[in-house]
Amino acid sequence: MRRSHLVSLILVVVFTAASLAGVLSAGWTPVLGVQLQGGVEVVLRPADEVSDEQFERAIEIIRNRVDAIGVAEPDITRQGTQVVIQLPGVKDKQRAVDLIGQTAELRFRPVLQMFDPTDPEQLSVIEEAMNQGQDGDIGNENSVETTEPEIPDSRASLSDVLTPPQEDDVSAMVALLGTSGQTGFVLAPAHVTGEVIEEAAATFQGQWIVNVSFNDEGATLFDQMAAANYGRQVAIVLDGVVESAPTINAEEFNGQAVISGSFDEAEAKNLALVLRFGALPVEFERDDVRTVSATLGEGTLRAGVIAGLVGLALVGAYMLLYYRLLGLVAICSLATSGAILWSIVAWLGESRGLALTLAGATGIVVSIGVQVDSNIVYYERIKEEVRRGRAVRSAAAGSFRAAFSTIIWADLASLISAGVLYQLTTGTVRGFALYLGITTLIDLAVSFFFMRPLVILVARRLVGERPGRLGLSNMAGGVIR
Amino acid sequence: MNFSLKAMYRGENSWDFLGVSRRVLAGSAIVVLVCVVAIFVRGLNLGIEFEGGGVWEVPALSQVTTDDLRDAASDAGMGDARVQRITGGEDIFRVRGELTPDVSAKSVVSKLAKAARVDAETISTRAVSPSFGDEVAGKARRALIVFLILIALYLTLRFEWKMALGALVAVAHDIAFTVGIYAIFQFEISPATVVAFLTIMGYSLYDTIVVFDRVKDNERSLSAKSRMTYPDLANVSLNQVIMRSVNTSITSVLPVLSLLVVGSLFLGATSLQEFAIALLVGLIIGSYSSLFVAMPVVSELKGRESHWAEQARSAGVLGQSNAIEDAAAVLAADRYDRSSPPRPRKKGRKR
Repeated sequence: MRRSHLVSLILVVVFTAASLAGVLSAGWTPVLGVQLQGGVEVVLRPADEVSDEQFERAIEIIRNRVDAIGVAEPDITRQGTQVVIQLPGVKDKQRAVDLIGQTAELRFRPVLQMFDPTDPEQLSVIEEAMNQGQDGDIGNENSVETTEPEIPDSRASLSDVLTPPQEDDVSAMVALLGTSGQTGFVLAPAHVTGEVIEEAAATFQGQWIVNVSFNDEGATLFDQMAAANYGRQVAIVLDGVVESAPTINAEEFNGQAVISGSFDEAEAKNLALVLRFGALPVEFERDDVRTVSATLGEGTLRAGVIAGLVGLALVGAYMLLYYRLLGLVAICSLATSGAILWSIVAWLGESRGLALTLAGATGIVVSIGVQVDSNIVYYERIKEEVRRGRAVRSAAAGSFRAAFSTIIWADLASLISAGVLYQLTTGTVRGFALYLGITTLIDLAVSFFFMRPLVILVARRLVGERPGRLGLSNMAGGVIR
Repeated sequence: MNFSLKAMYRGENSWDFLGVSRRVLAGSAIVVLVCVVAIFVRGLNLGIEFEGGGVWEVPALSQVTTDDLRDAASDAGMGDARVQRITGGEDIFRVRGELTPDVSAKSVVSKLAKAARVDAETISTRAVSPSFGDEVAGKARRALIVFLILIALYLTLRFEWKMALGALVAVAHDIAFTVGIYAIFQFEISPATVVAFLTIMGYSLYDTIVVFDRVKDNERSLSAKSRMTYPDLANVSLNQVIMRSVNTSITSVLPVLSLLVVGSLFLGATSLQEFAIALLVGLIIGSYSSLFVAMPVVSELKGRESHWAEQARSAGVLGQSNAIEDAAAVLAADRYDRSSPPRPRKKGRKR
């Protein structure tokens, strides 16, 4: 009996220390939410009914766009009919907001020239061609800038050549890269956009092909383009990336086109999806857009941390005063739970990109109460038994069962509420529910594997028959004076 | 009744909770009624998450006034913007306005930044579409209903339906009271406050379950020949758990209080305030309702059961309801008659 308690205690301490050391040595720290470090949070909702497939595709595209901005810990999740995008710590907040949820179009652009983006000489040639082309197409706005790149011998870098996203207009000549980034394309203005596509599907006919059908307007436009570009390539461009550049093999399609090439199944299906849904297959409404400045976020974080520490100190002091040695056990339990919680939060942040939100942090503060309560329920039971005349050591061992049963049933109610809230709500409330659930589970484990053996050991070794050490002095019955 | 803290500390308290329960219940009912009336008469001050609109938080420099910002806001197309200066900790302006189609969020930010003479990046913004609030509220409502049904089922399975009813009455009482406070003082309700309300429900239930668990435990250990009435049983149980309730309340209120005082008064984090007020009120009222609302309701219901009614009748015939000390002794005797006999307690102490 005594040995099993000791083993359990040692295991918990080793486990906690190991997980904390692991997390710290891996350099993992909790990812802070938008409200705690500044950043952008956007909630999008489709303007119309959409299929699951469209929705998933849209989220995929948003994720790609966010990756392109370069946010350290983006969190993009579908919650019911909404997409919640959290970009903590993002630098240019306004641009991030603009980029997300924008419905860029799918465009068909005739290919003028292809180039190798790693070859500086080719780049210089392309750059010159682009500058001339743009002068012709766009005119006045660029005339000031053109003086700069014309400095002789300046080696053109790739970023000078490529068209930046904000200048990627339908009617402009552009220079873009393919999906792999290995091939550059100089592309003419677009004649046809994704709106005119009615249906696109990947099928297998000896090889994987994609069938595309256009609506009436699209059929005319596409035939015009085909006639002008017969035998040449036409690029399918999405969000500034050339998805595919098939060669036009007919002058008349009558609203039906077949794209073939050396596709594998996944490529063909992906291309069909791109064609069918255009860029964002869904038009989104911005339900909630929030930007938090870094200073405000840091202020909230600091306030929360200080308040949390002060609160913990007060609770610790109260427990020590009231329960003496048992209070110390309570403080150790809290510290253990805290260390485990820190590891879990850091791990969630690292592996799942799940940030600790303000609501989540509140859930944790609240859980201090729940955690301490598990101690109190047990200690009050012990005191009651001792008052009835039972020896401290046997009271400590004997009253755990009843106390733990109370703790389980009460914690189960917390878990039910956490589960329901997590399943049925979004955003703030959901974050709260998650951490409430996690801390409740930790509470159960720590109560059983840590608090119980420690209390029993303390009662045996340190208290003996001096209940004063448990805050039980002057006990009823006149036994102790 | 002997209200001595020392007695409480020693576990010698023997208060007649149920004796005063009807009066306390009536008092609670009146307070709840006042709160419900306040909710309907004064309405709730809903945040933009429920009503839609925009909020901008702009760092405040001393030479800039709220009028400067109001002008900037109306310049950007928001004639009805409300501007508040929030001091304490970091000094900020809080601008709230409606987002009509011809108001561009971008121009509002740049105009406010100019008026406040700060960099646009330091402004925190929030823009919510009107339909969003309906959805948030709808989801919360659905979650609440599912939650209450599950909890009712859970408590019925674990205890019995009468206790489930008592617990739900207590929860309703707590929520009505807390929301009432928000209506009376016109505190703003945001999703954060909704989270706090939900926490309160969870807490209140948690507390109630601890009390019920003890009552059930005691009921099981009663011997068949015991003469105890249900109110006696409830009284003993409440006296046994009161110290735990008080201590738990204190230890849960301390962190929340420090969140409220340290967080929002000294450091000026308004977003923490939203949680803390509701939590503070709710935690205290939740502990109260477990003892003074949930248990009396259950006691009323159980007292009508034939077995307990019989007990009460025979106690009435004998002209005595057990003194609580006696009841506790009886209970202890029933429980510990085998293993460790209880030390004789001083009997006959007058209440």
